[in-house]
Amino acid sequence: MKQLFSQFFGTVGVLDSIRVTLIMSFWSTLIASVLGIFLGLLLERKDFPGKRLTVRINRTLMGAPPVVIGLLAYMLLRKKGPFGSLRWVFTIKGMVFAQVLIITPIVCGMVYSYAVRTAPAIRAFARTMGADRTQTGRLLIREMKNEIYFAVVSGYGRSISEVGAVFLVGGNIKNNTRTMTTAISTLKGAGDYYEGIFLGVVLMIMAFAVQTLADYFRKEETGDENF
Amino acid sequence: MRKANKAIAMAMAAMMALSMTACSGSAAETAPAETEAATEAAAEETEAAETEEAAETEEAKEAEGVLLMATTTSTDNTGLLDYLQPLFLEETGIDLQWTAVGTGDAIQKGKDGEVDVVLVHSKAKEEEFVESGFGVERFQVMYNDFIIIGPKDGPIEKTEDIESVFKQVMDEQLVFVSRGDNSGTHNKETGIWDKLGIADYESNPNYISAGAGMGDTINMTDEKGGYCLTDRGTWLAKKADYPDMEIVCEGDANLLNQYGVIAVNPEKYPDVNNEAANTFIEWICSPEVQKLIGEFGVEEYGEPLFFPNAEQK
Amino acid sequence: MKISNLEKQMGDFHLHIREMNLEDGLVHGLVGSNGCGKTTLSKLITGILTPDGGTIDYEGLTFRDITMTSQKPYLLHDTVYQNLIYPLKIRGIRPDEEEADQWLSRCGLLDKKKQYARSLSSGEQQKLSFIRALIFKPKLVIVDETLSNLDPDSTELFEQLILEQQRKRPITWITISHQLVHIKKICDRVHFLERGEQLAEGTPEEILLRPSHPAIRNFLSKTEVSFRGD
Repeated sequence: MKQLFSQFFGTVGVLDSIRVTLIMSFWSTLIASVLGIFLGLLLERKDFPGKRLTVRINRTLMGAPPVVIGLLAYMLLRKKGPFGSLRWVFTIKGMVFAQVLIITPIVCGMVYSYAVRTAPAIRAFARTMGADRTQTGRLLIREMKNEIYFAVVSGYGRSISEVGAVFLVGGNIKNNTRTMTTAISTLKGAGDYYEGIFLGVVLMIMAFAVQTLADYFRKEETGDENF
Repeated sequence: MRKANKAIAMAMAAMMALSMTACSGSAAETAPAETEAATEAAAEETEAAETEEAAETEEAKEAEGVLLMATTTSTDNTGLLDYLQPLFLEETGIDLQWTAVGTGDAIQKGKDGEVDVVLVHSKAKEEEFVESGFGVERFQVMYNDFIIIGPKDGPIEKTEDIESVFKQVMDEQLVFVSRGDNSGTHNKETGIWDKLGIADYESNPNYISAGAGMGDTINMTDEKGGYCLTDRGTWLAKKADYPDMEIVCEGDANLLNQYGVIAVNPEKYPDVNNEAANTFIEWICSPEVQKLIGEFGVEEYGEPLFFPNAEQK
Repeated sequence: MKISNLEKQMGDFHLHIREMNLEDGLVHGLVGSNGCGKTTLSKLITGILTPDGGTIDYEGLTFRDITMTSQKPYLLHDTVYQNLIYPLKIRGIRPDEEEADQWLSRCGLLDKKKQYARSLSSGEQQKLSFIRALIFKPKLVIVDETLSNLDPDSTELFEQLILEQQRKRPITWITISHQLVHIKKICDRVHFLERGEQLAEGTPEEILLRPSHPAIRNFLSKTEVSFRGD
């Protein structure tokens, strides 16, 4: 099996790139989701001076080019940078760091948008049901479950498809910090287009598999809603 | 509301804790591969994980340290490092890892202390690197040469004179695809324009600055039926894909591409793996390895990709 | 429950109730034209909104004793049954499935017990919201326009439920409605609001039959239902 891969993909290190992609995207998505959901809900709940500006900044960050964030992350993590002592350059940790910077605003923005539309009604309802703070919090998460799932899955999608930032921070080191996307980029740079597409298809199949899994766990309760 | 999040996070983190060990190095990846298979999208992982396991035990990682190198994409593309890496590991127990970027970026990484050793092919930049104090000493390792490739039966006749070729490109406004990415190859090209005193080579409407890697640039050249400057190694590896192109110019003294290896100065960055860097430099300059370098590619392409020329002491 | 000097600003609208008496165990009706502050007041009572000024003396009631139903009720993304027993779960009360079934069959919802609640028709949703409000034995129920778009049979059903409840164990009701027939039928007290103020409170006869305030007369003249007889 390995021979087959090696033959076709040459020395780009495909199997390891799959492993690296999985590890990195798992951690990026997890951390960014926890942060993003928390911040998104917090943002909806609290009013403070400068809230409009904060929301606007969040929106902007959602669309920020990942390669720019990646460069920023690299400069933060390099030895001369403020977090240089972490030695996260050329490591998966560093790549996760960069990706968290990219994905958290996305999850936060999506959760915030949805919360703005639905959280007040849920809170009012919780009140009339006599729920206390904790119960209200749990209710919010439960009732917004589908949208939260959607935000998380979107975050995951961004994570595995990202190439600029992970390239800059990770260094695309074969077997170590080369992801599927940077491997595709390497293949392309070497002129191996067909191999690149093939790997791209593998990547998309993986993304599809995760979507299917997410759907399976997310119990489909939606009947036809009566409007 | 944080409680629910934290509960989920911790449950999954507990399951995935093992996989983090894979992040910090290349040692012992069998367990993480398995855990991953169990928790992530189950289906397609198991196959990959099993193959991974087999591969890992094969390589038996007992690395005595890691040597981090910055080098160029064209060096990486030749496959020489992939060939040397396991040999180096076996002989010294040191795991050579490298990041392949542009020449400028590679040198900068050396100056920033992000890597332990630098292997590039841009003498001027290498010497400046040493002079700046961030590089210890420059050792020449090997050279290959650049060539001009272009369409068979194209307007340029085969020649050894690079300057005449460049002049013809300018005069006849021929299609010329440049790397355009400040790489060693690109610098070689601009150096020749400089030498010829042609400052406005970009005014040629058919001059294309690709901003791309070598393989990509060759592809573009073929598409456009033009000419480009490439290193022989990449051309040998790719020429089967481009039956319409051939070598149009080779052998000029200007076209030599000298590789140098430099250790990053531990006085500036005490935590660089200087010992491993020196081991590597000694190793790659040793007569045995030099011989291997000189034989690299012969079997596959019929001619060597490199000409070893380390100074023997 | 006594309300004193309650004030709330909502955009352009300003609510100011100088004094309102909501006696225990009676059915109170809040009437007035749209935008008079009925819904704002009910939100203040349930604690969804906090007042800018003034006080509500709950006389010992807590938020767990108070509940509200509305015209477009919020339903959980879950089955009818789960929605119904939710207030019990909040209070840590083990749901008695038999009792729950009784409530459901009373409304004709028993066969839809396992159905996704949000797929119910709006009338059914209102009924569900109503019994959900009663299942945990509240002390104060606010019925906010819930009956407005209901068919006559369902309206009848709700009124029966309210009256039954009052016979068995009287609790305090605040019903907000435009339907004066309904108000007259079940309310012990009527409170008339206009433009954020309570203009009058008293028995239905006092307020609706022999209104002293010109605004109330004006309001009544606009409604079709004559208030003499039925």
